[in-house]
Amino acid sequence: MTAPPEMRDLAQRLLNYEADAGKTSEPAESATLRVYEKLRQGLGEFAGVAGFQSLASRALALARLEAPSLSAARVTADGSLQGLGALEHQIDIDKDRAGAYSAGEGGMILITRLLGLLLIFLGEALTLSLLRVSWPAAALDDSNSENGRKA
Amino acid sequence: MSAPDRVTINRLPTGVPGLDEIVGGGLPEFSFNIIAGAPGSGKTTLAHQFVFANATPERPALYFTVLGESAIKMLRYQQQYTFFDPAKLPASIRFVNLSQIVLEKDLGAVLEEITKEVEKANPAVVVVDSFRTMVRKPQSDMDLQSFIQRLALFLASWQATTFLIGEYAEDELRDNPIFTVADGLFWLRQAAERNSVVRKLQIIKMRGQDSVPGLHTFRITDAGLQAFSRTFGLIGHLKNPPGHRRLSFGIAELDKMLGGGVREGDSVLVAGSSGTGKSVLATQFIAEGIRHGEPGIVAVFEERPQAYAERANSLGLDLETPQKDGKLAVLYLRPLDLSVDETMHSILDAVQKIGAKRLVIDSLAGFEMALSPGFRADFRESLYRMIFALTGIGVTILSTVEVDESFTEFPFSTYSISFLCDDIIRLRYVSIDGELRKIMVVIKMRGGNHAKDIREYEITYKGVVILGKRLTHYQGLITGIPVHSDGPDPMPEPSQEPGTGNKR
Repeated sequence: MTAPPEMRDLAQRLLNYEADAGKTSEPAESATLRVYEKLRQGLGEFAGVAGFQSLASRALALARLEAPSLSAARVTADGSLQGLGALEHQIDIDKDRAGAYSAGEGGMILITRLLGLLLIFLGEALTLSLLRVSWPAAALDDSNSENGRKA
Repeated sequence: MSAPDRVTINRLPTGVPGLDEIVGGGLPEFSFNIIAGAPGSGKTTLAHQFVFANATPERPALYFTVLGESAIKMLRYQQQYTFFDPAKLPASIRFVNLSQIVLEKDLGAVLEEITKEVEKANPAVVVVDSFRTMVRKPQSDMDLQSFIQRLALFLASWQATTFLIGEYAEDELRDNPIFTVADGLFWLRQAAERNSVVRKLQIIKMRGQDSVPGLHTFRITDAGLQAFSRTFGLIGHLKNPPGHRRLSFGIAELDKMLGGGVREGDSVLVAGSSGTGKSVLATQFIAEGIRHGEPGIVAVFEERPQAYAERANSLGLDLETPQKDGKLAVLYLRPLDLSVDETMHSILDAVQKIGAKRLVIDSLAGFEMALSPGFRADFRESLYRMIFALTGIGVTILSTVEVDESFTEFPFSTYSISFLCDDIIRLRYVSIDGELRKIMVVIKMRGGNHAKDIREYEITYKGVVILGKRLTHYQGLITGIPVHSDGPDPMPEPSQEPGTGNKR
């Protein structure tokens, strides 16, 4: 079971957006954690801590099937993500090279899975509506990508 | 205080078709309302409809979810309804989950969190779903009552119209101090009746305006709740003045028997056993109306509209063209579990759409069978309300009813509904000369004189055709087994008791 390509595109855009934002603020925090935290805050508000925690746990379990390197990561009781540090460190190193994230796709896979679950449960329209709380439309707009979603 | 000095209470649309009329024109702005009912009764959906109908980016809605249904699953299911507009999230509608606070803290902390969010968002609408699950630890009702009182005070001051949703059983309605705080109390019920489920709602209280009392049927479809007022949305409509016009059947002899035709706005019952031509007569009544520029509606329960039109066509009555021209609507109301109120809603929609002046209900037996078993017990009462409401807006109704043929009695209807009808036309078989022939008699006309004649008729390719003059040579015609009288005219009035004449 693989995540839909449009969710992968969306995850990639969110990571890119946060990576860019991270250059000017809170640079110590990885892009994956920044995306994850925004999802936790946004989704936690309406789904509750327990609701988000269970969703994130499921996403992590699915992501591990694709990226065994995520085995060290875990979702805590309050829904936050731990154990992603080493992996994210690798991503941060790789992102300055050609073919960004090629060495560490675990974080992106996790975000992809989380977005994929939202897509399954809530549908695209509602998922995008909820993401708009945390990201500007430009970050969600993939009109230039091959899948062509307009946020 | 004179009328102009009184405060005007704005009424907000409920977002539920039919409910605005029931609550008295819409929900009072800034009111504090409770939606109570058993699980699955439609409470959350009702609240969502209100939220989606009223929330704007300037004055959004805050929807607090507590314990119970997962918020994600709630949105997953709720978005299946057509009223659910995902584009309204999150700018106009925000869902806030309070589960953690409820689990870890007390009602004071819950109130504090709600207060914080309300002050931040300045919402026009606030929903707490479900407030009852907030009381997890053994606490007295006073704790919850105090919480609700403070919440009501706060939200009213912040100009929010509020819904609290709670699971309550029927027996919890009485003497519950929680309900005294509420300005509006909506009670939703669903009850299984044999194999059917009947949903009803009641406005137990609605401060500041008159709501329609009683239990109102509602249905949940993919469009959400739809309510059907007991008064069919016709409150305030004037009863039409006594009809001066007489409506023709298109059968000259029958019109004469009726003293010139049916009075406009009357309810006419055509009763007879199977095959006596009730539907034919009804079709002629409708067709004649259309000929005179009076749009009509036929509500059929026993055959499909196409078959109905084809049968009319065989009588030389064209029902296809007026349907295409918007002068006639043939409503096929067959699905089981109908309520009279839903049927009425369909009929009223059609009445308003085409400006119908004549309505045929063919037949009452079919109508009753189309109803959920739970509604059949109230059939007569519902029929009364329906007829009263429709004739009140000037619609002339012709209902057919099948009666069991008896050779000892002359029943008008198996439903004992003759009191609902202004006029009754009775059709029946009669055995004469070894033939099963048909007779017709006008039993009653509330609005005036009518012929007392018993007339023989046939059903031909022209429809019902009344033959010759009244049958004067028989006694006991209405029993179905008349006795021939040998004298020249021994029976001045055919309704007299059978005499001792010889059998022919």
